[in-house]
Amino acid sequence: MVTAVEIPTGNTPALTPARRGFWRNLWRVLRRKPTRVAGAVIVALFVVMGVVGPFLYPANLPTDPGNAYAGPSGSHLLGTDFQGTDVLALLVTGSRYVLVAAVIAAACTVVVGTGIGLYAGYRRGGPDSVLMRITDFIITIPGLPLLLVLSTLWKYSNPLTMGLVLGVTGWGSVARAVRSQTLSLRERGFIEAARGLGLSTAHVVRKELLPNVAPYVAMNLLISVTVYIYLEVGLFFLGVLPFNENNWGVMISQAVQNGVTQTGQGLAYLLSPLVAILLLTLGIVLLVDAMDEVFNPRLRED
Amino acid sequence: MTAATQATTSTAAAAPPAVTIRDLTIVYRTPAGELPAVSGVDLDLPPGTITGLVGESGSGKSTLALSLLGAVQRPGRIAAGSIHVDGLGNLVELSAKSLQEARGGEIGYVFQAAQNSLNPLKTVGKQLLDLGRSHGVRDRTALVRSAKELLAGMGLDAARVLDSYQHELSGGMRQRVGIMFALVLNAHVLVLDEPTTALDMISQANVLKIVRAVHTERGLTTLLVTHDIGVVAEVAERIAVMYGGVVVEQGETADVLRAPKHPYARALINAIPRVSGDLSAARPLPGRPPTLGTIPTRGCVFRERCAVYAERQLPACVAEQPPLAPVADGSGRLVACHAVAVEDQQATGETA
Amino acid sequence: MRNLLVRLAGHLVRALVMIWVVATFTFFLIRLMPGDPVAAQYEKLVQQGMSPDAARNATRLTYGFLPTGSGWDQYVHYLWRLLHFDFGRSTQTLGVNASAEVLTGAKWTIGLVLAGILISFALGTVLGVIAAIRRSSGVGDALTITGSLFHAIPQFVMALVLITVFTVIWPVFPTDGNVDILVDPGFNGPYVASLVSHASLPALAYALSMFGSYLLTMRSSVISVLGDDFVLAAELRGLTRTMRLRYIARNALLPLFTIFALTIGFMFGGAVFIEKAFNYPGMGITLINSIGHRDYSTMNATFLLITAAVIVANIVADLLYTAIDPRVRRGGEAVA
Repeated sequence: MVTAVEIPTGNTPALTPARRGFWRNLWRVLRRKPTRVAGAVIVALFVVMGVVGPFLYPANLPTDPGNAYAGPSGSHLLGTDFQGTDVLALLVTGSRYVLVAAVIAAACTVVVGTGIGLYAGYRRGGPDSVLMRITDFIITIPGLPLLLVLSTLWKYSNPLTMGLVLGVTGWGSVARAVRSQTLSLRERGFIEAARGLGLSTAHVVRKELLPNVAPYVAMNLLISVTVYIYLEVGLFFLGVLPFNENNWGVMISQAVQNGVTQTGQGLAYLLSPLVAILLLTLGIVLLVDAMDEVFNPRLRED
Repeated sequence: MTAATQATTSTAAAAPPAVTIRDLTIVYRTPAGELPAVSGVDLDLPPGTITGLVGESGSGKSTLALSLLGAVQRPGRIAAGSIHVDGLGNLVELSAKSLQEARGGEIGYVFQAAQNSLNPLKTVGKQLLDLGRSHGVRDRTALVRSAKELLAGMGLDAARVLDSYQHELSGGMRQRVGIMFALVLNAHVLVLDEPTTALDMISQANVLKIVRAVHTERGLTTLLVTHDIGVVAEVAERIAVMYGGVVVEQGETADVLRAPKHPYARALINAIPRVSGDLSAARPLPGRPPTLGTIPTRGCVFRERCAVYAERQLPACVAEQPPLAPVADGSGRLVACHAVAVEDQQATGETA
Repeated sequence: MRNLLVRLAGHLVRALVMIWVVATFTFFLIRLMPGDPVAAQYEKLVQQGMSPDAARNATRLTYGFLPTGSGWDQYVHYLWRLLHFDFGRSTQTLGVNASAEVLTGAKWTIGLVLAGILISFALGTVLGVIAAIRRSSGVGDALTITGSLFHAIPQFVMALVLITVFTVIWPVFPTDGNVDILVDPGFNGPYVASLVSHASLPALAYALSMFGSYLLTMRSSVISVLGDDFVLAAELRGLTRTMRLRYIARNALLPLFTIFALTIGFMFGGAVFIEKAFNYPGMGITLINSIGHRDYSTMNATFLLITAAVIVANIVADLLYTAIDPRVRRGGEAVA
C-alpha cells in the first residue's frame, strides 16, 4: 500500500462477531483457561440434573424417621433430612423448579428489557423519556419486598408463574443497558448511514442493532440467571410461600426451621443446597468470563 | 517578571542551562521482548535556544520528551545513555525524590492542548496550591501572585481563571494555564509536547507567540516536540528530525528547511504544500511510519521508504544504522545517512 | 447552587409520584386479593360475635378504608390517611398502629444497613485501589477473584454460612435476636456489649455480601482514571505521590456513587434475608411476619417505608454526586 495519508479504519464496530463463528470462538476461548472449561462443565451438569434428575427418583421420596439428620454415608451420600429422606435425592429433584423458573425469568427479562431498551434508544425523544421513567421506577422499587408483597396474591406454585413474576419485576437494568448501548451505536453514526442508504427500520434494527446489542444481552442473561436463582430460593427460604413441590429453597427453609443452625445436627442437609447454589453461580461466573472475551476481543491477553 | 522569580525557592543563576543527551536508549517491554523506542540518540539543547523536535507519530519523540523529566512510563525504561542538565546533573541517575522536585521545579512540561492535563474536580487555583505544597513552597501569596502575573502576561483574566474548573476553560486557555503551571516555579528548561495540536489557527498563533515571549523573557532552554514543521519554522532556532527512534538530522532550522540532507528530512519537507506554487509539487511520502514492532533491527531504519536507497542500493544501508555525523560543509549540521557520507567523501576527494 | 436546587426539586417531584404509584398499587393489591381481606376481616369479626356496625367500624380503623362503599371513595380516603402517616392498625399486635410497628423495626434495620454500608464501602474501595495499582501482580489477581466471588454469593447463603461457622461449629457469637433479654436495657456496659455482639454477625453478612461489588467497581474506575492525562500531567508537574493518589482516588470515587444508589436498594431488600437468618427484629422481619399473618396494614406500611427509604437514599447519593463533581454542579461553558 502506497499512500501518504492513512485512511482511518477504526469506524467499523469492533463487536459483531460473525454469528457462524460464535460457537467456534467460544470453544477456542473456553480452552484457553481450564477454569472456563470447568465453568461450562458445571453448568452443563446442572442442566442435565434439572432435565433428567427428577425421572431417576419416585414421585414421593421414601422417608425413614429412624434415620433422620444422618451425616454423609455410603447409602446417603449427602446424609438425610429431618424425615430421613436422602438429601441427594432432594437436591436432584428440587433442581428442576429452581432452574426452570430462573430460565423463564431470564428469558422474560431479555425479551422485555431488550425490546424496551432498543425501542427507547432507537426512537429517542418522548417515548424514550417515558420508557426510561418506567425503567427507573422498576429499578428503584426494592425487588425482594415487592416479590414478598406479591406473594399474597400470586402463589408461585409452579416454576412458570414464579419465573414470570421474577422476569416482570426484573427487566429494568437490562433495558437501561441496552438503551445506552443503542444510543452509543447511534452516536457512532452507522445507523444514520444505514438509514441514509434507504434501509428499512426493521432491517436496521434486525441487522445492525441487534447483533451489536446481543453480546450485552447474552451476558446479562447469564448474570440474571444467578440473580433469579437467589431470589426464588431466598423467597422459599423465608418460609412464607406455600409450596407443593420440593426445591432448594424449601430444603434450606426446612433445615433452618428444624433447628439445624441451632443444634448443628444434619449440617450436610443445610449445606448441600447452599453449596449447590454456590457451585452453579461459580460455573456461570466462569462462563461469563469466557463470553466477555468472545465479545470483547480487545480484552484478550496476548 | 522579577516578582515572579522571587516567589519561588529556586535560586538558579540567570544563565539558561544546557541540556546534553548522549547515547540515550529507551526500550519498551512487549510480549515480543524489549523493543527500543529511542535508540542511541545524541541531542544537544544549547542554552537559551528553542529546539524543535519533529517526527511522525511513533518516531519516539514523545518518549524522548518524557525522558527529559525522567518520567518514561512503564512498561518503558531508559536502558542506556545519559541526560545531563546544568544544575541538576545526570537525570538518569537522580533519586526519585530529586526527580520529583526537578519536575515542575527546574523543568517544566506542557501538554498537548487536546489532553486534559488538569484534575477535573479541582479549580486551577487549588491545583496551583497543590503544586506549591508538593514543592515545599512556603510563601503561598507570592506563588499565587506570580501565577497571576504569568496568566495576565498571556492575556487572561487571572483571578477568574484561578477560580475555574477545567471544563470551564477553552482549549487555548487550557494551554496557557498549562504554560503557567510549567513556569510558575521558575523552571529554566521547558518541554512542550505538541503544544498547538488540536487548536484553531488563531489560538495556535497566540500560543506560539506566548512561547517565544516567555522563552526570551525568562531565559529558558526549550524543547518543542511536534509533528508540524510549520510550527518549528515559526519559533525554533534549531531543529532535530526523528525517525524510528533515531535522530536523522539536526541543525539550524533555516539551514535544514532550506536544504534538508537526510532523505527522510527531505521527504518530510517536500510533503508540505507551499502557499504559493504548484500543489502537485508537494510530494507525499510513500509507505507508513514504523511502529515499535516494525522498526528494522539491522541497517538504516529508514531504508524501506528511502528514495535514495531504492535508487542506489548501498550495501552499508543494509548492514548498519549510520551514525549521526557532521556534514562536510562546516555548517555544524549533523546527518545520519550513508549516502550523504559517501557524497561528502567524494566531494572532499575531488577538491583535494 | 441553583443547579443543585433545580435537581433537588426534580427529585422530590419524581419521588412523590413514585410513592403515589406504589401506594396505589398496594391499595389495589389488597382490594384485589382473592377473598378481599377487608371483607374477610369484617366477616371474621362478625363471626366472633361482634355486631355488624361495630365490625364495620373496627375494620375501617384497621385498614384505613371502609369495607363497603364506592371504590373511588375508599381510594381517596386511603390516600388521605396515608398523607397523615396513618396506615391503619396492626392485626398481629392488636391496638398498635402499623406505623409504630414498622418504626420499631426500622431503627434496627437502619443501624445494621448503615454499619454494613460503611464497613463494605471502606473495605471495598481500599482493596479496589490496591487491586487496580497491583493489577499485574498476584495480589491484584487474588483481590479481583475474591471480589467477584463474594459479589456472587447471595446474602442468605452468606448469613447461613456465618451462622453455621460462628454459632454452631465455633460458637463465639449469639445467633438470635438483637440483644440478650436478660440484660438491663440502658446505656451500660453489658447492654452495649450485648447489642454489639448481636449485631456483629448480621453486619458482617451485609459487609461481606456488599464489598465485592465496591471492590470491582473501584478497581475498574481507578484503572480508567490511571489512564487519564491529568494523572501523567500531575506526575510531570512534580506532585508528590500522596497528592497524586488523592487526585486519583477522588476522581475514581465518582462512578461509585451510581453503584452506591443501586446497592442501597439491594441492602434494604437483603435486610429481609439477613434479618430472617439471624432472627433480628428489623423491618425485614416485620414484613415477613406481616405477610405470614396476613396483616395487610403493617405489610403496606413496611413496603411503603422500605420503598421510601430506597428513594431517599437514591436522592442523597445523587446530591452527593452533584456536590462532588463540579461538571454537574457548575454546568456552563468556558469563561469569556
